[in-house]
Parts: sequence; structure tokens; C-alpha cells
Amino acid sequence: MTPNLSRVLGRRSRTRLAALLKVQAKLSLREPSALGVGVGLPAILLVVFGFISRAVPATVGDTGLNVIDLYIPVIMVISFIGIAISIPSTLVRDREIGWLRRISTTPVHPSQLLGAQLILDLGLAAVAIIIAIVGGTVIFGAPLTFDIPFFILSVVLGIAEIFSLGLVVVALVRTQSAAGIVGGVLFFVLLFLSGLWVQPDVVGGPLQVILLYSPSGAAVRALLYSVFGQTPPLTELAALIGYTLVFAFVAVRYFRWE
Amino acid sequence: MADPLLEIDQVSKKPRGEQPAVTVKNLVKRYGSLLAVDDVSFSIKEGEIFGIIGPNGAGKTTTVECISGLRTPDSGSISVYGLSPQHDRDKIREFVGVQLQESSLPPRLRVGEALELFASFYPTPLDPQEMLESLGITQIERVAFKNLSGGQKQRLSIALALVGNPKIAILDELTTGLDPEARRDTWALIERMRERGVTVILVTHFMDEAETLCDRVALINRGALTVLDTPEAIAAKAGVNRVRFTPSQSVDDETLDAVDGVQVIERKGRYVTVTGTGDLAASLLNALAAKGIQVSELEARSGNLDDAFIKLTKDTTPIASEEVQV
Repeated sequence: MTPNLSRVLGRRSRTRLAALLKVQAKLSLREPSALGVGVGLPAILLVVFGFISRAVPATVGDTGLNVIDLYIPVIMVISFIGIAISIPSTLVRDREIGWLRRISTTPVHPSQLLGAQLILDLGLAAVAIIIAIVGGTVIFGAPLTFDIPFFILSVVLGIAEIFSLGLVVVALVRTQSAAGIVGGVLFFVLLFLSGLWVQPDVVGGPLQVILLYSPSGAAVRALLYSVFGQTPPLTELAALIGYTLVFAFVAVRYFRWE
Repeated sequence: MADPLLEIDQVSKKPRGEQPAVTVKNLVKRYGSLLAVDDVSFSIKEGEIFGIIGPNGAGKTTTVECISGLRTPDSGSISVYGLSPQHDRDKIREFVGVQLQESSLPPRLRVGEALELFASFYPTPLDPQEMLESLGITQIERVAFKNLSGGQKQRLSIALALVGNPKIAILDELTTGLDPEARRDTWALIERMRERGVTVILVTHFMDEAETLCDRVALINRGALTVLDTPEAIAAKAGVNRVRFTPSQSVDDETLDAVDGVQVIERKGRYVTVTGTGDLAASLLNALAAKGIQVSELEARSGNLDDAFIKLTKDTTPIASEEVQV
């Protein structure tokens, strides 16, 4: 391939990606489920738990931390869940109505449309993380002391795991209405497992194990340790990696563009 | 490594008509036990408007989907400017524009945005604004897909197939759902594509559309190619001409039977109706004039593609249905 041609092709693929990003961004703003559930809901939870902490300034157990401090990782994971659940609702529809098939008759493969969507979703997740951290520390005074490498690792694994789960729904569900039902149920199950309503420390036995090592629970634990400057336990990290591999495998194995 | 852009350029420099744009050889496609396309072969010349007609479920869409690379044939070969739609899909997509029969856009995507998006996919696209103007849909540029009428959706779909400035356009059920005026406008658009030298593959079940637009028509019935010729030739081959007249004096059957091409003679009141093939009216008038018989109230109707279609698809039905059951 001549350098000239590779430059031309490189410029063209950038033009295409820019056009896809622009269109997907506009559509995301007009159908703002990802924005609402992925960024709006975590912001609301931050404010709610923030004010609860101010009203009841006791520490949780002997941790020396109060409610908002412990909920910052939960809020981040909830935003990942909200964004991941919005992936099937649009992608399954785009496949069902023949839009992905229509795209596949052009020089652009529908995977590039999915890629553009995932880039936007990563951007949303980054915004939600920044809201949780800045809001939590500046407004509500959470004493976060990051272990930066493990924090980055936990964020990357958490997003990879939960987004992959969203893609599993895209792969296995055929219709838009079914995607809505499956996504809705999954959303509340993951929210529960993240410890939004019941923290694993206050329960015992099998439920505690389930909460600690569930897909959303493991992501919360990894983040919880790393935002307070500690190394996450290997078991939680291993669980996260395992889930990510399994979800990604199932998503790739059963994915259909038409 | 070969330069894909250059290759396409070299192809386009060849004079029109020197090589076929599309060659289909012995195409076979099955869906389970259903034989959708059964040993179909044809070739399409560059710059030609090629019609594919046939009853519902005849295999028209499957055939063009194999050409555009959306489906993989079970056997047979397809060449699009020397490229294989299956192995060189990426190259073919650069210069083949496709309008799909059943395909929607995201409900909130606007007309102008969709056109600009598709234009960005191609190396040398047409101007989306000019596309909108030539299709007469500038006023809906900012309208979301879900709020378009059926005709507007159809025109947008055509615009998306053409905005990439394709060398070959595959249009499936082009004017289905359009009102008569919109159909005429769309036909005019296809005529303009002919002037620009675009090769058009038109799948349709409207015979008037095929007759008006197509240089040649392939009739596919039950997966098999029944006939391939110009619309006029198909109509003439299968078509039945009908001549009705009032003779100045009684004329016997023998006189009429002796005329070339006469098949059936019917009498009703003072009218004589003769059906048959060939240049029926002229032959009849000559034969009657030779006998000194004058003709009045003459009415001649030549067979059209519609007649031919019905005749040809009926003729082959019993044979084809047996094949399908096997």
C-alpha cells in the first residue's frame, strides 16, 4: 500500500468515524435513556446520599467513613449499569428495523456504528465518574485517597465487564420489546447486587458472598478499595476478569448484525 | 499491494458496453428445503437499466441480494466488474448503491442527517443538498424518519442508495407505496441516472414500470429465469394481439384463418374479434381489402408486458411447483 493511499484511507475512515459519532451523539440526545440513567440517576443518588450523610454524620461501623464515602463506588457502578442497559435498547432496535443491514450495504460495516456508540458511552461513563468523584469530595467532603493504578484497573475492568453484559443482551435478544424487558429486569438485579439497597457488610451467609462476588458487587468492591488507597483483594479482581471474559465470549459468539 | 481505488478507476475508463457490469452464472440459493433461486444466469451491460420482474416470492430479491453481497449463493458465480460480491465485498460496496425492500432508519434520525451520514461513507459522493432537490424533498430535510409519509420514506431510501454516486444501483421495489405523481418523479430520476451512465438493476412487480424504464427485463418465476429480452420483444413473443372490426359484408372463417398469425376468431353482433400474433391488423386489412371487404370501427390492441407476464408466469406454474416439492 502506498503511503499516499494509506493517508487517503486513513483520512476517510476518520471522516466516517466523525460522521458516525456525530449522528449517534445526536440520536443519544434525542433518546436520552443512557444520559438519564447513566449520568442523571447517579447524580441524583450522589445528592441524596450526600445529604443523608450530612444529616446523620455517624461513621459506618468502625471504618471511620460515613454513608456517602461508601456509596461513591456504588454510584459509579450504577452509572456503568445504566449506560450498559441502554446499549441493547437502541442496538436491538437498529438491527430489528433493518438499519444495521442497510448500513452493511455501504462501505461501512455496522461494527463501526457500534464502535462509535461505545466511544460515546465511554465518554458518558467518564462524565459520571468525574461527577461522582468531584461531587463526592468537593461538595460532600469524602476523604478519597486513590491508589491510581488500581483505580484505573478497577474502572477499566468494571466498564468492560458491565458493557459486555449489555452486549450479551444485544446478542441473545431478538426484538426491541424483549430487549426492554430483559434490560429492565437486569437493571434492577444489578442495582441490588451492587449494594444500593443492602450493603454486603450488614448481611451474612450466602447473600453476603453473592453480593461480594456478583458482577456489579465485585466491581463495587474493587473500586471501593482503590478509591481509599488500598489494593483490591485478588478474589474480587479475579471475579471481575472472569465475568468480563465470559460475557465478552458469549457476546462475540452469538452476536448477529441482521 | 493492489490499489483498490485505482482499480475502480481503470474499470470506469473502459468504454461503455465493452464489458458486462454484472455477470451471474448458474446461481443457486436455497433456504432450507425451499429452492429460492434455481440455476439463474444473465449478464448486465454497463449503463443498462436492467429489470427483474416476477411474482411475489419468485426469487427476485434473493437474486439481487446475492449480487450486492448480502447473501452468499449456494452455488454458481457472480462477477461485478470482475469482482466477487462475496470475496471482494469491501471493494464492491464502494461503487454499488443498494435500496433494500424492507429497511427503516432510526426513528429520530432526520432526512438531511441520514443523507450526510451516507455521503460521508463514500469516496466521491453526490451533494446531499442537490439530491434532496432532485427528489423534490428539500422541505423535509429536518423531518425525523418516524414522521415521514410512506412516499417520503421511499424517496429517502432511493436518495440513500444514490448519494454515494454509485456505478451500479440496485433498487428493490422502487415505487411501491408511492402515489402516481411520485412514481413519475422517481422514474424521471432513473432516466437521469441512465444519462449519467449508471447501471441500474430494478426489481419490480409493476409491468408499466419495467416497460417504461428498462432496456432489458428478466422474468423470474419460481426461482427460474423464464425469459430475458427487451420489454417489447417479451410482449411480442408472448403477447397476444387483438383486432376488433365491423366488416362491410359478411366474411367467412376460412378467409380469416388464412391470414398469417390468426389464432382465434370470435363474432359478437356486428363485431368480429380476431386474436393472434404478429402484425395482425395490417395482415387482416390487406386480406380483406383483396376480397373487396371494407372495415369500419377498427380497434387494435397490442399485447403488453402485463399480458406477457401473466401468460408466462401461468404457463410455467405446474412444472415449477413440482420442482419445488422435490
